[in-house]
Amino acid sequence: MSNEVESAQVSDATEVTQLSSSAGMESHAGSCDEEIPLQLLNDAVRSLPYHVVKDLLSIGVCSRCVLRIFGTEDHIYCHPLLSQSMIRSILEEVTGFKSEGDFQLCSVCLGILQFSYCDGKEEMVKMESPNDMASTISELVKTEGHQIDGFSLEVSVPQLILENESSLLLGMKKRDGSEPWFQERVLSKCVSVKDVLKIAITKPLETLLDVKSTSSGCFRIRLTYTHKRASDNYVEKNQGFKRRRIGTGNGLHNVNDETVITSKVCSDYSTNETTSVTGRSSNILQDQDPSEHFRMPIDKVSEPCHLVYLCYRTHIYLCGRYLKYSRNVSQTRWIIDEERMGEASVEEVIGSNILPMCRGDNYKFHAAGREDIDVRMLGSGRPFLLEIQNARQVPSEETIKEIELKINCLENKLVGVKNLKVVGSQGWTLMREGEAEKQKQYCALVWISRPLEDEDVQSISLLNDMQILQKTPIRVLHRRSPLERQKIIHWMKIERIAGSSQYFLLHLCTQAGTYIKEFVHGDFGRTQPSIGSILGCRAEIMQLDVTDVKMDSF
Amino acid sequence: MVDQAHKPEETAVPNNLQQHHKQDEEQQQSVRENAEYEDEELHKLLVPDITQLPLTPPSSVESNFASYFAPDFMKPGNDQYVYRHPNGLCVVGLASTHSAFKDKGGVSAVDFNVGKSDRSGMKVTGKRKKASSFGNAQHFESNTALCKVCTNDDSYIIRCCVKGSLLEVNERLIKQPDLLNSSADREGYIAIIMPKPADWLKVKSSLLSLEDFKKSREAGSILPSHNSS
Repeated sequence: MSNEVESAQVSDATEVTQLSSSAGMESHAGSCDEEIPLQLLNDAVRSLPYHVVKDLLSIGVCSRCVLRIFGTEDHIYCHPLLSQSMIRSILEEVTGFKSEGDFQLCSVCLGILQFSYCDGKEEMVKMESPNDMASTISELVKTEGHQIDGFSLEVSVPQLILENESSLLLGMKKRDGSEPWFQERVLSKCVSVKDVLKIAITKPLETLLDVKSTSSGCFRIRLTYTHKRASDNYVEKNQGFKRRRIGTGNGLHNVNDETVITSKVCSDYSTNETTSVTGRSSNILQDQDPSEHFRMPIDKVSEPCHLVYLCYRTHIYLCGRYLKYSRNVSQTRWIIDEERMGEASVEEVIGSNILPMCRGDNYKFHAAGREDIDVRMLGSGRPFLLEIQNARQVPSEETIKEIELKINCLENKLVGVKNLKVVGSQGWTLMREGEAEKQKQYCALVWISRPLEDEDVQSISLLNDMQILQKTPIRVLHRRSPLERQKIIHWMKIERIAGSSQYFLLHLCTQAGTYIKEFVHGDFGRTQPSIGSILGCRAEIMQLDVTDVKMDSF
Repeated sequence: MVDQAHKPEETAVPNNLQQHHKQDEEQQQSVRENAEYEDEELHKLLVPDITQLPLTPPSSVESNFASYFAPDFMKPGNDQYVYRHPNGLCVVGLASTHSAFKDKGGVSAVDFNVGKSDRSGMKVTGKRKKASSFGNAQHFESNTALCKVCTNDDSYIIRCCVKGSLLEVNERLIKQPDLLNSSADREGYIAIIMPKPADWLKVKSSLLSLEDFKKSREAGSILPSHNSS
């Protein structure tokens, strides 16, 4: 067997040039662009064991699969100028294989490396060159209006392909396992379908998009191939899979539901492997347990894979501090029985003004703690983090200043924003760190049932780091565990109000998590001590404002 | 600060330094002024307009709860109140017209050991997912006894008034029964109960609003209030 191969290789250079000129190149006559790639391809094909190639072609393996199984260098058969038919013709010419004529989907890669697939409209697409696929992707990126400075390509293929390949290689091993070409090439250099596809598309994509590909970029281009037959087998297995929660229940505000739905649909199908560009997937034969997947012969397929293109940017984050000037605005969207509570929400004012500037799909609002709807947030403001999903554009510093100005100059003056800026994913850690630990400062308008005395002002100002015990306030007892919480009031200061003897302003700084209202009125005596118990009279709280949320990193 | 008598080359550097110092100072000054300005602006927002505030504002109970009354509940003179929060929780206690307050000396002791168990010993624990199931809270009928209130002359059994889960009793009353005499409508509350929505609707129809309660009391004998605010 090997002798045959050697003699074929030794044949003369003239044969090579004759082949290249006759192998359907009439349309390109005169152009010298394909000559070198063709030459290399010819040489490569001549290095293969012809009878094995014929066998593979006869059981429906496509040309690129044949070449990759033998570990052919990718630039040889992934060159954009080499079309499907060119490669096929050379293989047939050199090895003397006579094909049946009609195009057949590859029995191993199911048409993926033949750039054939079924698109979203259920229409069959058959491309000749990787350039065409790159063009389609580039069109998608441009239509979506993404502004990018790099991309990361991910490909996901049905498990069925790996099974097919496994069966095929095992079959080959059985028959030719001892052959040198099997040992040196197939066993150690076989390239996976995913890697070939990625290699083929990456360079043309880089050219079309005018940016470089990276291994872990913020902009992801994902090609997900699925096959109907595979999904039938795997539907039962996937019943237990966790589905991603979608919908407004968890605070997602959807502008465009399609992006999210596509990902959900993908998880319904057979288990897919997804790896990014760097790091070739390991050789099937070395990994798999042979007894599990042996299945010969491979069934011929009539249906191509279904391909879904997805391009998206990973979350971007904007952080800053917000102020709430109104006593009728909730922090987050609050709807009970289809009725909105309050006239607006901080979340929506900020989110709806920032989302369009990023041209994102939806946003999620996170804040370091919260205040009641009737409590204003003044002074330094409260730190918040806004997560933008699939932003088409990362806002520039100028844009950010514009956004800040716009929100702060809104007519109804309900909400304000400070220190707005784009931040990396470390914004999360900063937020979480600050939340529970920090102190909060308040100003309460208090009324007592008797005139305020100078001794009262004095005694209150002397209380430092006073411990109080608060039973879960009645107003939240329906949804929170009944506990007794120990809290610290760090300091207090009474500010008299001109013209009133029973109203005054109480400035106080407390541990995070202290219920201020209950500390003032006592909550039926369930908060001890309270302002009332300290002053020996009845105390009521009329208004509350948060004046400072101490958090350094924001 | 800088000796101007130095030779020209040597004064070049100190002059620059002086400028930097000055710039720093100016910067710090403007930062301080900014901060002061912000503090002033903040303060303006905080100080209320006195003319808009009522002389005597509504109490936290009046603002946050709906008040209901049960006159002569299960026994003449046993006037109780039920303060209901919008979240469904009910605070129950003795109305100011309760017979106990007419006895000389008022309330002297409160005992929660009534019925089948000591109500004060109960601790409700566990996280609840639905408003209707409060961990291990006991479910009581409206006529279930909560506690016994004693005066020098007599003792009175106080009952739930509302059918529901008992979340809490006011244990402070054990050591400080006088809370009932000084503020039965606040610090002297008896217990907190959570009725199911359907149960609340049923009992609500048998309770009186503050207005109607006052009228009913006036129609009978005029009882002076012992609790002043």
